[in-house]
Amino acid sequence: MGMHLGFLFPSWGLGTRYRKSVVKEKKMKINFILNENEVSIDVDPMKRLLDILREDFGLTGTKEGCGEGECGACTILLDGKPVTSCILNAIHADGKEIYTVEGIAEKHIGKLLIDCFDETNAVQCGFCFPGFLVSSYYYLKTDGEKNLDKIKKALSGNICRCTGYQKIFESVMMACVRKS
Amino acid sequence: MKFVKPKDVENLLKNLEEDKGKKYFLAGGTDLNVQIKNGIIRDANIIYINHLTELSGISEENNIILIGATTSIMDILDSDLIKRHLPYFQRSLESFASPLLQNTATIGGNIANGSPTADVIPLLLVLNAKVELSSKSQCRLVYIKDFFTGYKQNVMKSNEIITHIIIDKNAEKDFLTFYEKVGSRRTLTISKVTLAGMKKVSGNRISQIRLAVGSLSEFPRRLFKVEDYITDKTLTEIDFSKVENLLGKEITPITDLRSDKEYRYHVCVNLIRTFLNQ
Repeated sequence: MGMHLGFLFPSWGLGTRYRKSVVKEKKMKINFILNENEVSIDVDPMKRLLDILREDFGLTGTKEGCGEGECGACTILLDGKPVTSCILNAIHADGKEIYTVEGIAEKHIGKLLIDCFDETNAVQCGFCFPGFLVSSYYYLKTDGEKNLDKIKKALSGNICRCTGYQKIFESVMMACVRKS
Repeated sequence: MKFVKPKDVENLLKNLEEDKGKKYFLAGGTDLNVQIKNGIIRDANIIYINHLTELSGISEENNIILIGATTSIMDILDSDLIKRHLPYFQRSLESFASPLLQNTATIGGNIANGSPTADVIPLLLVLNAKVELSSKSQCRLVYIKDFFTGYKQNVMKSNEIITHIIIDKNAEKDFLTFYEKVGSRRTLTISKVTLAGMKKVSGNRISQIRLAVGSLSEFPRRLFKVEDYITDKTLTEIDFSKVENLLGKEITPITDLRSDKEYRYHVCVNLIRTFLNQ
């Protein structure tokens, strides 16, 4: 039953609630660096990293869309690389360095990107945007060339259902120019 | 329900001897967590292996390339060693899921999960790759073509784990290659049909050919009957109705939410035709 509900209505989060009731683990101490602060938490090692960030640390900028790693709304940086936190577990964070959108928004490049998204009116409903910001930040940090094909590829793991992506790409191109 | 985090591979293999029950290895978690979320995996022991550095990384040894089971797809895409020896393999993996998933998904996980649509497996099939299975007492090599026995079923014993994937350094040398993953969009697509192919041509005769398909049977597989028919023929000698006929004996496409069986079958025939005409 749960399987069918989770399959039909993934965005309603029924699958998530179902999951919490079936997977129960003994707690474990997990240490990691979260937005440049050392943190430690006693937690079920299988708890989703997304839920830890939102529930245990109150970092609700990271969103849950599909809950299956396909939409990118839950993107964070794990040891510097963008990953979907909805299909990672607490144990994956152990000993690692994590940046959420809140941490990135404090960075110089993060602020630059936010300004560009703002000026271009790239954001509509905004739900997917924390993920886009994290992926764009990673692109600017690691490459940053004003190249549409490269930007499209860098953002290909993030899905937006409101816009036609065009203004998002324009914003990142703008940020590439301003950064250099 | 039990969660285990072994301190090293030795400890892990010892643990596997003792624990005979149903268990799942957690590496990147990109498949496992979706199955847990959807209630497909309900009550199982989880063994975490992603922290074991011995299982991760790409190295060379004489004439082979060793890829650790928990090496991420992105590590393979970024590897200079793979770029030098297996450029076709590397290039083809670009269509794997999305960059976000490439950062976490592992090659061993793609094999162990054994989805009919697994992106890595058709490539490993045409490259004649081997899977290294280790247990406490022994280490054996199984050709990827012999690894699967049914839908998500494989030859692994309960005390074994995939430790490496082994590919010959010269596996691509002198071959013409083909890889096409057919889906609804470029990234983040689950394949409707995948065809991987490698061929050698001398004169206008196809002297050697390997074809492997994904999403067309209960696990990705080589098309041995089609290969046998095509081998040593020139393009004009190949009767495509015969190819279609043989293909029908090797694959069992299904109709599901992504595509119809008829569509899958015809696209596969057309992909083979495209590759042969190249």
